[in-house]
Amino acid sequence: MEALPQTLLFGILRSGLYALTALGLAISLGVIGVVNFAHGEFVMIGAYIGFWSYLLMSGPLGLGPAVSPLVIVIGVPVSAVMLYLIAAGIFRVALKPVLRQPEINQMLLTFGLSIIAVNAMSIGFSPQARDANLAWRFDLIDLGFVNVTYSRVAGFAVSAVLVGATYVLLRRTRLGKQMRAVAQNRLGAQVIGIPVDRIYEIAFGLSAALGAAAGVMLLFQTQVSPYLGLSTLLKSFSIVVLAGLGNLTGVIWASLLLGIAEQVISQYVPNGSALRDGLFFVLIFVVLLARPTGLRR
Amino acid sequence: MRRELVGWGVFLVIAAALPALGVAGDRYLMFLANVMLMFMTLALSWDVVARTGQLSLAHGAFFGLGAYTVGIAYRSGHVPPLAGLLLAALVGGLVAIVLGVVTLRLRGIYFAIATLAFAEVLRTVALQLPDITGGNVGISMPPLFDGDRVLSYYLIGAVFVLALALSIWVRRSRMQYAVTAIRANETVAAVVGVNVVRTKVSLFAASAVLAALVGAFYMPFITHTDPADAFDTTRSVAALVFPIFGGLYTTIGPVVGTLLLRSLEEYLRVTPPWKDGYQVVYGLVIVVAVLFMPRGLVGLATERLRRSPWRSSK
Repeated sequence: MEALPQTLLFGILRSGLYALTALGLAISLGVIGVVNFAHGEFVMIGAYIGFWSYLLMSGPLGLGPAVSPLVIVIGVPVSAVMLYLIAAGIFRVALKPVLRQPEINQMLLTFGLSIIAVNAMSIGFSPQARDANLAWRFDLIDLGFVNVTYSRVAGFAVSAVLVGATYVLLRRTRLGKQMRAVAQNRLGAQVIGIPVDRIYEIAFGLSAALGAAAGVMLLFQTQVSPYLGLSTLLKSFSIVVLAGLGNLTGVIWASLLLGIAEQVISQYVPNGSALRDGLFFVLIFVVLLARPTGLRR
Repeated sequence: MRRELVGWGVFLVIAAALPALGVAGDRYLMFLANVMLMFMTLALSWDVVARTGQLSLAHGAFFGLGAYTVGIAYRSGHVPPLAGLLLAALVGGLVAIVLGVVTLRLRGIYFAIATLAFAEVLRTVALQLPDITGGNVGISMPPLFDGDRVLSYYLIGAVFVLALALSIWVRRSRMQYAVTAIRANETVAAVVGVNVVRTKVSLFAASAVLAALVGAFYMPFITHTDPADAFDTTRSVAALVFPIFGGLYTTIGPVVGTLLLRSLEEYLRVTPPWKDGYQVVYGLVIVVAVLFMPRGLVGLATERLRRSPWRSSK
C-alpha cells in the first residue's frame, strides 16, 4: 500500500473532480469577474439531482446493475442542464443588477444565495447526509500493480471529458472566443458588438453545469448532504488561487498539484488525514505570500 | 455630532438601567439581553471592516478563537475568565494582523476567500488537537460570576461600548475620509496619500479583537464550547446580516439590525416549520438588501425623512 506509483495514480484520479469543480469557479471568476460563493451549492444541488435520478432508477424503474453507468449517462447531463437553467435564471434576476456595483455587494449576494440554498435544502430534504449505494463505488478494477474502484476511474474519466470539452469550447468555437474576449476586456468586447450580458449569462450557466456534473460524480465517492458545498468551494478556491485568478489552463496543473499533494500526505505522513484536510488552506496562504498572481505566469 | 452622542448616551443609560427595570428577575430575558449585546458588538465590529470595502467571513472564527483561548487558558493554567479575556483580545489581534498583512495587500476577493478558509481551518484544528482543545468533546469551565447574569451583562456591556466607540470614532474622525476613499477606489486613495494597507489591517485587527472578546465572554457565560459550536458559521453570517439589514457603514444600523433580526430569530427558533431554518431568512435578507435596499433600514428611513413634507427643504 505504500508504492509511489499507486500514490501518484490515486492523486491524479482525485484531481479530476477537483479540476471539474474548480474550472466552473474559474470561469465565473475569469469571464464575469464575480466570486461565486454559491458555487459549492451548485455542486450540492447537482449532486441531489443525481441522487434523485439514482433513486428513481434503482427504485421504481428497477434497473439494478445498470444503474451506475446510467447515473453517469443520464444523471450527469440532466443535472448539468437543470443547473445551467437555474444559474441562468439567477444571473438574470439577481446577479446582473449588481455587476456594476462594488465587489463587496457581489460577494455578499452570492454568499446570501449560498446560505439560502444550504438551508432551503436542509429544511426541504432533511439535513441528514444520504448515501447512494452505487455498485461502482466498491467494484474494483485490477490494473496489475494496483486495484482501483470503478468510481474513481469513472469520476476521472467524466471530468477529463468535460474539462477537455470546455477547453475546446473556449479555444475553438465562436462562443468561446467571445467569452475570452469579454474576459479580457468587457468594454472592448461590447464595442465590437459582442452581447456581453448574454455571454455572462452563458458563462455563469456553464460554470454551474460543470459544478453539477462534478456533484453527480461525487455520489460515487461520498454521501450527499446540504452541507457538502463548503468544503468543495474551499478546495476549488485554493485551486483557483493557485492557478492565478481567472487563469483557466492553470486550473488543471493546480488540481493535479492539490490532488497528488493530498494523496502523498495522507499516505506518507503519520496522522496525515488531518493535515490533508487543512492542506488547501496552507496552499492558499503560501501562494498569497509568495506569488499572489498564481504559480504560472 | 453632539446630537448623535447624546442619542447614544440615552441609549446606554436605558441599557444600563435595564436590569433595574424588572428584567433582572427574569433569567431568560436577562440571558437574551446578554446575547443581544454580544451580537451587537459582533455586528458593529464587522461593519467597521466592511467600511473599507472588505468582506470578512471570519468574524465567527475570531469569536471561536476568543472562546477557545479562554477555555484553553483555564484548562491548562486555571487562568481566571477576566484575565483570559485580555489574553483572547491579544491572540485575536495578533492573528488578525498576520492574516490581514498577507491578504489585505491584494484584491478584496482574496481577503474574503482567505477569511472563509481560515474559519474552516480553525474548526479542523480544534477537532484534530484533542490534547489541547478537548477535541470533539470541547472544553467546559465554571460559570462567569457564578452565573450572575446581571454582572455579566455589564461586562459584555463594556465590550459593547468599546465597539460603539470604535464605530463612532471611525465615522467621526479623519479615518472616515481614508475609509471612504479606500472603499471607492483603492488606487485613488493611495494616490491622495492614504496608507491603504495599514488602514485596512489596523481596522481589521481592531475589529477582530472585539470579535475575540465577545467569544471570550461567551465561553464562561455558556460554560462549555466545542468545535462545532465555537466555529459555527452561523455566527459569521449573523455578524454580517445584522449590519446589512440595519444599514451598512453606520453605527445605528448594526445595532437596530441586531435588535430586530435577533428577536425574529429567537421567535423562529421555537416555531415548528423553521427551527434552524431561520438561516434561510438571513440569506433572503442579504439578497434582498443587496438588490433593493443597499443602505438597509437606515437608508429607507432617511429617504422617507427627506421626502417628508414636514421637513422644510433647504
